[in-house]
Formats: sequence, C-alpha cells, structure tokens
Amino acid sequence: MNIYLRELKASLKSLLIWCGVMALLILIAVSKFSAFAGDPEMLKILDTMPPALLEAMSLRAFNLTTVTGFYGVMFIYFGLMGAIAAAMWASDSITKEERDKTVEFSLVLPVSRSRVVTAKLMAALTNCVLFVAFTWGVSVAAVQSYQPDAAYYRFLSLEMAAMFAISLIFLAVGLLLGCAMQRYKVAGSTAVGIILAAYMLSIFSGMQEDLAFLKWISPFKYFDAGEIYRSDQLDPQFLALSAGIVLVCLVSAYLAYNRRDLYI
Amino acid sequence: MSIIEVQNLTKYYGKSRGIVDVSFAVEEGEIFGFIGPNGAGKSTTIRLLLSLIRPTSGKASVFGKDVTTHGPEIRREIGYLPSEVFYYEGMRVRDLLNYSASFFPGDHSERIAELSDLMELEMNRRISDLSFGNKKKVGIVQGLLHSPRLLFLDEPTAGLDPLMQRKFFDLIRRENARGVTVFFSSHILGEVQRLSNRIGIIREGRIVEISDMRSLQQNNYKKIKVCASNLDAAAFALPGVTNLQPENGGLQFFFKGDINAVLKQLGSIPVEDVTIEEPTLEEIFMHYYE
Repeated sequence: MNIYLRELKASLKSLLIWCGVMALLILIAVSKFSAFAGDPEMLKILDTMPPALLEAMSLRAFNLTTVTGFYGVMFIYFGLMGAIAAAMWASDSITKEERDKTVEFSLVLPVSRSRVVTAKLMAALTNCVLFVAFTWGVSVAAVQSYQPDAAYYRFLSLEMAAMFAISLIFLAVGLLLGCAMQRYKVAGSTAVGIILAAYMLSIFSGMQEDLAFLKWISPFKYFDAGEIYRSDQLDPQFLALSAGIVLVCLVSAYLAYNRRDLYI
Repeated sequence: MSIIEVQNLTKYYGKSRGIVDVSFAVEEGEIFGFIGPNGAGKSTTIRLLLSLIRPTSGKASVFGKDVTTHGPEIRREIGYLPSEVFYYEGMRVRDLLNYSASFFPGDHSERIAELSDLMELEMNRRISDLSFGNKKKVGIVQGLLHSPRLLFLDEPTAGLDPLMQRKFFDLIRRENARGVTVFFSSHILGEVQRLSNRIGIIREGRIVEISDMRSLQQNNYKKIKVCASNLDAAAFALPGVTNLQPENGGLQFFFKGDINAVLKQLGSIPVEDVTIEEPTLEEIFMHYYE
C-alpha cells in the first residue's frame, strides 16, 4: 500500500498535465465543431473528398454535423492519448527506479519484486481510470450547449470503454518494456514508437482492401469508432484478443522483472 | 550456522567479469572486512547477497536462507549503506525515513529520532537539497532504523568528514557489541584495520586471502629492515623472503616462514641495526596486488 500511494503521489503531476492537455483538446475541438454543427454545406464539401482519405480520418462513418458523429471522429485522439499516457506511466514507474538510481534503496526494502511491480501497476491503472473518467466528464460538460440526445451518451460510454481498453493494452505493453528492456532508458520512447506504428497500421488497414489483415495487428483497429457506432457494441472477439495481449504482457513483465539484474 | 555463506559464487555481466568462484563465510557477531581495489567485485558481491542481481552460478545464503529464493524475508533483517546514496529526490528526510520504516513491522520512531539526532540530520530538508555527505548520513539512519541483525556497508565513509566518520565507527562498534554482524567493504585499509576482526581480500573478481586480522598481521609476514656496511643482498635470498630491496644503505624485505632462518643469517654478519615489525595492512595488501 505504501508503494502504491508513493507512486500515485509521484505521478500526480503527470496525470494533471495529461488531464489539462485532454481538456484543452476537447474544448478546442468542440469550439471548431460549432462551425459545422447542423450545417448541410459541410457534408457537400466532404462528399467531394477522396474516399480513402475520408476513411483514414474515419470521416466516412460519421455525420460530422451531429455531435455524435463529431465525437466519432474525435475518438482516435482519445485512444492515442490514453495509449501514450498509459504506456508512459507504466514503463516510467518501473524504469525511473534504475534511472534515478533508487533501486538500491527501494529493492533492498523487504518487499518482493512482484509486490513492487503490482503496486506500480495498480498506481498506473488508477491513473488510467482517472484519465478516462476525466475525459468522459469533460466530454459531457463540453457539448451541453448542443443538447446531445441519449444516443450520444450511449456512444460516448462505448467510446470511453474502448479508450480504457486501449489504455489497458498499452499499459501492459509499457509495463513489459519497462520490466524487460536492458536499455531501460529507451523503454518509454519505444512504447510511444509502438503506439504510433500501431496507429499508422490502423490507417493503412482502412485505406486498402488487401491490407485489411493489419487490423489484427493494430489495437486501434480493434476498437474502430465507425464499427462501434454501427454495431452499438465493442466487438467481443477483439475484446478477448485484447485481454489475451494484456495477460501475456503482464505475465512476461513479472517474469522478466523477477529475473532482472538491477544495478546502477 | 554462519550468517553469510557464499559458495563458488560467480557473476558475469554478459561477457565481462563480476566475480569468479567466490567462497567465504561470515559468522554471527563478526565485523568482516572486504577489501579490494575499485572494480575488484566488492559491490557485485554485496548486490548478489542483497538479491539485486542474480548469480550466474554458485550459491549464497544469508541467515541460512538462499538469497535468490528468500530475498524479501532476508532483507527484513538487513541494513544496507551503499557507497553512494540515492533516494527519491522530492521527498523530505523525515518522510523518506518514515516511508522506509513503514516496511518493517513495529514502531521505529524512537530509534529514528535517536539516530538522526546522533547524525545531526535536518529532518525537514528535501533529499534533493542535500549534499553528498548529508545524503550519506540519511543513508546511515535509514540503514539502521529497523535494528537489523546484519549490516552491509559498501565504502561507508566516502563523503563523511572525519568527525562524522568517528561517530559512524562508534555507532557501528556499538551495534556490533549488541550482536549485529557487519559486512564491511572498503578500499581504505586503515578503516578496515581499525574495525574488522576478519578480512577477505578480493582481486580481479577472485578471493585471494581470507584471514583474521591478527594472524594476517602476525603469523604471516614480518617486515624486516637491516642496516649494515657492505651488505650483500644475495645473503638474504632465503626461501620466504619477498620484496627484497635496498633502502638507505640497508635492506628491506618481507618474510614469511620460520623466523629463525632469518635470525641465523643476521647472526652471521655484523649488523648495525635491525628492525622486525608487523607490516601494516597496507603493505600486506600491496603485496597481494602485485
């Protein structure tokens, strides 16, 4: 419990910064949305754009002039931010002990390495929950003036669940990189690299039919906003796959950290 | 049962050597000095015993428990003072000590107060504002606050001023008198000589000698100086003589073996002056390092 609380305190500043950026993103986006809210001209302009581009921006699935459609387009940014924040929290909480040379203190205390990893994982998970909850809260507050209907709230809750699922996947990936990488200093940037690569793959997989298999590789495609909107649910197949990835990463992380040589 | 038992312990970092085939035992209540130059493997040995790193081969146990499988249990009764102390920078000294104490059962506030008083700690300072020596003082309090049965000190006096060093040594002696076993690594021979009962010498990853202080100084080597006119160095080329060298018109050498052999030789020549003395640990040490 003491490690968990210390970790929370140590990452509080980072959580506040991420929340601040998220609030800013939503507020700016919603103020832009006011330009095409309920404007049919906007749809005509979009119709003239190449379909592949629209697909890439997930503009094809949504009617951008409604607040629900607008939030469908926004989803990828929530997913990206949730993923990067989660991966950084998880990998950094592990690697900072070696980077700041505090392992000789923290791991000479009478605690097992598994307990240390669990406490840090729980702290990072708490941050993720708070971050999603904050995003959710700001989203509800920001669109009040457009009088969103029940469908919006339903879709928003699905989006937030998807954001949380993506966060969990990259939380586990970040933890694994932090625990396993010998060159621990680059664990965080490696995690961000993987996230951006996954994002690019998700774009390519939508642009061309013969690249569709990429959707199995990119977690961003597991939770495609257009798909969620159409089916009104998160795909159970991809949820199971996500759970599998999380599980494998977590187990590997514990195994790797228990075998790891910690020295400064 | 020995408090620390190390058998054929070997650690390679990839291909580079940490320690090779190290074996020794430390008994309860001892102050065991572990000497060697930088990079000999002193810290590697301590880190293996603290299970911060895993052995390549061999075995080590502390309190009779294997270090790789019983780490947390063992560390409950261990205090560790690293050569360079690093703590969470943003924390205050008081919070850091309380945080550390929270991992050990029982109330340690009295002992923290007592130790920090002795070490003249400023409890409200932030760790990041402390100098190297002041961090070390926090390290001393943190390493001792849970009254451990076994202390690991890795180059403990680095950064402490002489006054603090003396206080620190008094503290260690007092702890030792209470029955605390001390494992003390250093490359400063004087302090090892002052404190330890027994020493191990490590060089290039291997133990070259384990001996108790007294027999190392008395039974092993004598430092002999002879002054005489027309002294012939060849006369002292006896078995057991090492480091034979001229000095100020005389000769100086180390001798190990039956002292009568040297006395006989001395009796056969007219000498002006002879001194036979215990070598300092420094000299023994240099001898092992050549």
